[in-house]
Amino acid sequence: MSRITVDIDLNRVEGDLEFQVDLEDGVVVDARCVGTLYRGFEQIMIGRAPRDALVITPRVCGICGTAHLYAATLALEQIAHITPPAHAVQVRNLCLMAETLQSDLRQSFLFFTPDFCNANYAAHPLAAELRDAFTPLKGSVVRGTLKATRDVLGIVALFGGQWPHSTYMLPGGISQPANSRRILDSRGILAAVRAWFEQAVIGGRLEEWMALDSADALFRWQAAAAGRERSALGLFNRFSRDIGLHRLGRGTGHLLSYGVNPQPLGEARELPAGFFNADTQQIETLDQSQINEHVRHSWFLDYPGGRHPWEGETIPDHQPGSDRYTWAKAPRYGDKVVQTGPLAELRIAGEPLISDLLAREGDNTWLRQFARLRRAGWLIGAMSETLQAIKASMDQPHYIDPGIDIWPDGESYGLVEAARGGLGHWLRIRNGVIDKYQIVTPTAWNASPRDSAGRHGHWEQSIIGLPVPDPANPVDIGHIVRSHDPCLVCTVHFIGSQRKTHFNV
Amino acid sequence: MANIVWMQTGACSGDSMALLCADRPSIENLVEHYGLNFLWHPSLTAEHRFGDVLDALLSGREKLDILCIEGSLMTGPNGSGQYDTWKGRAKIDIVRQLAPLATHVVAMGTCAAFGGVHAAGPNPTDCTGLQYLNNQPGGLLGADWRTRHGQPVINVAGCPAHPNTMTRLLAMLAENEPIALDTLNRPTAFFSTLVHQGCTRNEYHEYDIEDNVLGGRGCLFFNLGCRGPQTVAPCNSELWNGQNSKTRAGVPCFGCTSPDFPANRDLFVTPKIGVVPKFLPLGVARAKYMAYKNLARAAAPERVVKREMEP
Repeated sequence: MSRITVDIDLNRVEGDLEFQVDLEDGVVVDARCVGTLYRGFEQIMIGRAPRDALVITPRVCGICGTAHLYAATLALEQIAHITPPAHAVQVRNLCLMAETLQSDLRQSFLFFTPDFCNANYAAHPLAAELRDAFTPLKGSVVRGTLKATRDVLGIVALFGGQWPHSTYMLPGGISQPANSRRILDSRGILAAVRAWFEQAVIGGRLEEWMALDSADALFRWQAAAAGRERSALGLFNRFSRDIGLHRLGRGTGHLLSYGVNPQPLGEARELPAGFFNADTQQIETLDQSQINEHVRHSWFLDYPGGRHPWEGETIPDHQPGSDRYTWAKAPRYGDKVVQTGPLAELRIAGEPLISDLLAREGDNTWLRQFARLRRAGWLIGAMSETLQAIKASMDQPHYIDPGIDIWPDGESYGLVEAARGGLGHWLRIRNGVIDKYQIVTPTAWNASPRDSAGRHGHWEQSIIGLPVPDPANPVDIGHIVRSHDPCLVCTVHFIGSQRKTHFNV
Repeated sequence: MANIVWMQTGACSGDSMALLCADRPSIENLVEHYGLNFLWHPSLTAEHRFGDVLDALLSGREKLDILCIEGSLMTGPNGSGQYDTWKGRAKIDIVRQLAPLATHVVAMGTCAAFGGVHAAGPNPTDCTGLQYLNNQPGGLLGADWRTRHGQPVINVAGCPAHPNTMTRLLAMLAENEPIALDTLNRPTAFFSTLVHQGCTRNEYHEYDIEDNVLGGRGCLFFNLGCRGPQTVAPCNSELWNGQNSKTRAGVPCFGCTSPDFPANRDLFVTPKIGVVPKFLPLGVARAKYMAYKNLARAAAPERVVKREMEP
């Protein structure tokens, strides 16, 4: 038996990702995710005025800054018992949905499908069709995606000034109200994006496609018209399933969602928060106190078990040559390894098609990616409805000044669904300034290292057992890893080097 | 055909995401009509792996026309650069290797230009920009560093850099147009206009109708931290995402094209001397400004005082 360790670096994952896989006779027997960047955001926040979080934390991530802005806003509102007006909540939701739609489309067609043009598939019967559609910067679907995502972000700009990195959500509301012009312009943008999505992505009417409620219905609908087979999604489905992506990359079955679109009053969300327990197949109520982070395999001063973000310590403790291999912490829900993202979001919301596909085939590379496009379809419909609600609430205030000179001491949190899944900000204020700021990103969940009980993170689990015939062109690893939609820039604790011996400084 | 390598260092990817938002010209147009050939971009290319691109450049098999750096240059811990690595090698070392090979080196965004958000106190990663740390010349490459054609790093500042500013600058470089720079090496074609210019709250500013809580229609300069009158950037002369700007939408300008961004103070509060901002509009004398403001307030028409105008 020959055991070798291969270092692999990947792009098109929002930042650069490196990881080590141990191969025995060409099969992955262990995998270690290595983030290569440490940015120190949580240290930068300490001692600053609490509202500065609204300017600084969106800069954690260039692709989901709106989600960070929303999470920071919710944390500040919680600590000071501020209830934002309904009109503001609706506008916030619209902007976050626009950002998520942008991310889902860019991730699918700029980051994931370029791998279908890999030399490995040059002899496949669909190769020419795939190249026409998915070649970077040139393919027809890529061109359409660039235009549609550019346009849809105009909705964020109409309400928030610019994308990325604006600060229009404020504790107490938003910086400017909707008016007829903003609503009409948003509707125009959304109508064009919808037309493109129907014509180029699904090859049919959105309502019809969203009404499909089972795997059988989906494949029957797709096969019923040549245009649907040739559409971006039809091509994606046919090719992915032909090369077996629906049998590849199974990770943890436990799913976590913080819920989509906070509602104006109370804790309810349009798509509910929850924890899907794969052992019981039941959805449990989300309890943020169950969230804890382990450092047993990370370069931090050890503590037993896991700690809630308010209690966590982040004391660097580099031990080269040990069994610690990353500066990422390992978040767990209770003692469970979870995955988060659109698959989790839609399953926990009980979306029929995704629930049926998950029950039939388990989680897999194709399904994670399909769920992302399914959500894109849902978002287009939900954004239209939200625009109607915004129109109906234009006579209501958009901002109620909370009148705070000195922010109250205390602890709070803000949880949102970012494009990649559950994003949480945990905050502590002392003497009117930020005393602690802890961010647990979706990628921290999905790409976590092993915890104190030795359990691998979700991403690691999904790689282990995979045959890698050609380590120089590990195309399956690319498919699996990219289907998790990892955002390495966003994983704020990450630090390190995949050659530990080089890290001894 | 101009070969371009876009490398991310300590970044959030925001400049890359903004690049995808450019529409005049768009990134597709740069490739199609300006002959730009992306050898490497962390989010966009699929043909080559970074190591192969690096080998081709270092061995001279490929020429490097434009090197774009997105992100702060992490020099920590202890000068090792190990806070930001590629295959165990400090990214700062790779940047030092590539920069001398490039015809043009461009800092895309405030992080690569001046250090940016990661250089905010206490600068936990000991990061810097390519030729500046905040407003101090030096940075990773040193103040006197020049490309082999004698040019300093071009600083396309902004957090993120304005989409069309990035693509226009790249188009100008591809066309061999001369690039005039200001004292911080930002291209004057895009960095001579204040953010204030073109703000739809200008009439409020003109008559000294200043808001003291967020969410209103008035000017944000006197009380709410807006740095629009001191910040050079095209935000209000070239709208974002084809639609709008932060100040128009009621968000203070935080001065993100400036070397000291983000300022080390409460970002939503304007520092003042008496009732007048400590930092005045660029180039204005305090006594004259105060006289002008007193007169302006007295001259304010009622429709402006009543904030009847939607920005």
